[in-house]
Amino acid sequence: MKKQSDITSFIFVLPAVLMFAIFTIYPFIKTFQLSAYEWDGISPVMKFIGFKNYLNVIYDSLFWRSMLNAGFITLLALTFQNLLALILAIIIDRGIKFEKFFRTVYFIPPILSGVVVGLVWKWIYDGNYGILNTILRFIGLEKYATSWLSNPKTALLSVAIVHMWKGFGWGFVILLAGLQTIPRELYEAASIDGADTFKQFWYVTVPLMIPIFFVVSILTILGTMQIFDLIYSMTRGGPAGFTEVPISYIYRYMANNELGYATAMAVVFGLVLFSLSIIQIFVSRKLKKV
Amino acid sequence: MRKILPVLSVLLCSFLFFLFSCSPKKTKEQIVIWHWMTDREDVFNELAKKYGELTGVNVKFETYAPSDVYREKVRAAAQAGLLPDIYSPLGAQRELASFIKAGYVEDLTPYMEEGWKNIFFENVLKQNSYSEDNEWEVKPGIYGVPIDVVSIQIFYNKSLFEKAGLDPHKTPQTFDGFINVCRKLREKGIQPFVSGFGEEWLVDVFSRSFEYQILGEEGIIKTIKGEIKYTDPRWIKIFELFEKMRDEKIFAEGIVTMINKDAERVFATEKAAMALNGSWGINVYSGMNPRLNYNVFLPPKLVDAKYPVKIWVSSSFLNVNPKSKFKKEAIDFLKWLTNDEQQVLLAKQTHNIPSNKNVSNVIESEVLKNFAINIDKAFPTLPVQEHWKVVGVKCKGIQSIIIGEKTAKQLAQELQQEKEKILSEK
Repeated sequence: MKKQSDITSFIFVLPAVLMFAIFTIYPFIKTFQLSAYEWDGISPVMKFIGFKNYLNVIYDSLFWRSMLNAGFITLLALTFQNLLALILAIIIDRGIKFEKFFRTVYFIPPILSGVVVGLVWKWIYDGNYGILNTILRFIGLEKYATSWLSNPKTALLSVAIVHMWKGFGWGFVILLAGLQTIPRELYEAASIDGADTFKQFWYVTVPLMIPIFFVVSILTILGTMQIFDLIYSMTRGGPAGFTEVPISYIYRYMANNELGYATAMAVVFGLVLFSLSIIQIFVSRKLKKV
Repeated sequence: MRKILPVLSVLLCSFLFFLFSCSPKKTKEQIVIWHWMTDREDVFNELAKKYGELTGVNVKFETYAPSDVYREKVRAAAQAGLLPDIYSPLGAQRELASFIKAGYVEDLTPYMEEGWKNIFFENVLKQNSYSEDNEWEVKPGIYGVPIDVVSIQIFYNKSLFEKAGLDPHKTPQTFDGFINVCRKLREKGIQPFVSGFGEEWLVDVFSRSFEYQILGEEGIIKTIKGEIKYTDPRWIKIFELFEKMRDEKIFAEGIVTMINKDAERVFATEKAAMALNGSWGINVYSGMNPRLNYNVFLPPKLVDAKYPVKIWVSSSFLNVNPKSKFKKEAIDFLKWLTNDEQQVLLAKQTHNIPSNKNVSNVIESEVLKNFAINIDKAFPTLPVQEHWKVVGVKCKGIQSIIIGEKTAKQLAQELQQEKEKILSEK
């Protein structure tokens, strides 16, 4: 009877397992295999070159520069984006008028298409037609009007701002959910013991929210480091590579039929993200103990 | 067992359903053509219907756009053995060579030698042909059929020229004349020049119009082979031209991150007086601003240049799948598509230059005629091609010069370093 039940269960999950194996496991293994070859994606013959692609990746300064660019956006997202999300979550958690309206509005940017957001913001930043420059001229700050996405000093920051605008809603939702799991009695008890708002936040909210902070941080790092849609729609990695990120760099190699090298970069990139996640989990566990 | 049987039956039915619904359906003698040309979709369907009525052979055009999506689809189909009867790899000579060597492209030389090739512009047909000494070791021959021709020159707005006190019938013939025109436009607060320099290939096109003037075909080939270095004074001179143009403030705001569509909009809305763009721009501008008053001129000539001005000329090529069951029918269709009658229809409806030189006189647009009469100035098709990484460094480097991040000499050194790396890997 149990055996029959097991077989029936297995049959029901089989399609999902097959889909997972075909569309996730197989490509995962194939990526590692391709990274050891030189192949243009068309020739029937693939040339085995071992770890040569990986050696080239290590010495590829443009690849590491793209990692730094993504790292810069990630740092801003980890700090400003998540801080904004936390502040808004706290305000909503405390209960304000039109709470439901704000909850909905804050979650609109994350659900918009990245490419559409990129194109709209490209217009806003445009040096010829952009509304940002129009506003700056209107309020007498004409000297700050520039081609935001073509100026190497402002291009990356401009893209980062759009990414943070689009992304803070995710953090907001998760942080709000976390805040709402904290029992109110703890705040009441703290208040009775004489703790002011800041001390309640520091000694009650923060310790209980540490696991949530780390989930949000990991998701922010993983999501931001893999940024592509905004880069592609706004700058294509320009001007002159100043906004190139790992995925757009890998895409460039794929588009030029260098599949072996592109997959090697993808593997290295994946390992970097994996290492960052492990470090975060380790630090999170340490902090929990403290 | 009784409980499992219905579940197994459902799974088996689902599997069979997906298996048969994914199978390609083909009726008798149906030619399938994959293309990316959204602006030609209607006329293609019209021609397909006409051919079907004439010969009884069904032709089906399938559009996949934009072009980078189309390219990826073709590559995936090639790996899966699912290429249609007619398609295009849509890549440079190096990529087409990969397709040919993998057996995905039919050698059309025997058919072309029957007289078919004589209807085409010679330098256009060469772009899908390989000579004896080609670096990819592809069997020499003709592998593609051009169905129309496009070319790039400099569009200029006659009204803005007049506004700046310039004669709209007198276009700059030299580089110094071009700079003077730009100065006068700037003085009147008009942005002189725009192009989609966020797309590297357009930077390359503009740069090559000077490269061929200074180095000539032989010099370019020698550079690609590594016999002339990128630190050669001639190359530095080419890059210094961009420094000069930058210093004279000829470039429109944001040019280095503009895609061509953005640049077309800037020119069409008269925010810039000149635009480096292709002949397809005629259709685009008529859609964006029908009252735009413009014409075209060739890239400016350098006074001390040894060689004549050359321009980018290309064609929409279609290639035949050698494994097609209807190969003969596919080739017959392409012969029909490129005959006089069909080329006239295509030219009139799409406003592109016909690939059939016998009917180039049907062009009505004065601007398009100016494109057509200069097809003989096309960049020559070389037996070698510069590595895409070197071209990438060059184009990014020129973008860097335009935004003031690099000098010509710095770019030359970086380019030479990249070139040496590529040569050492060979």
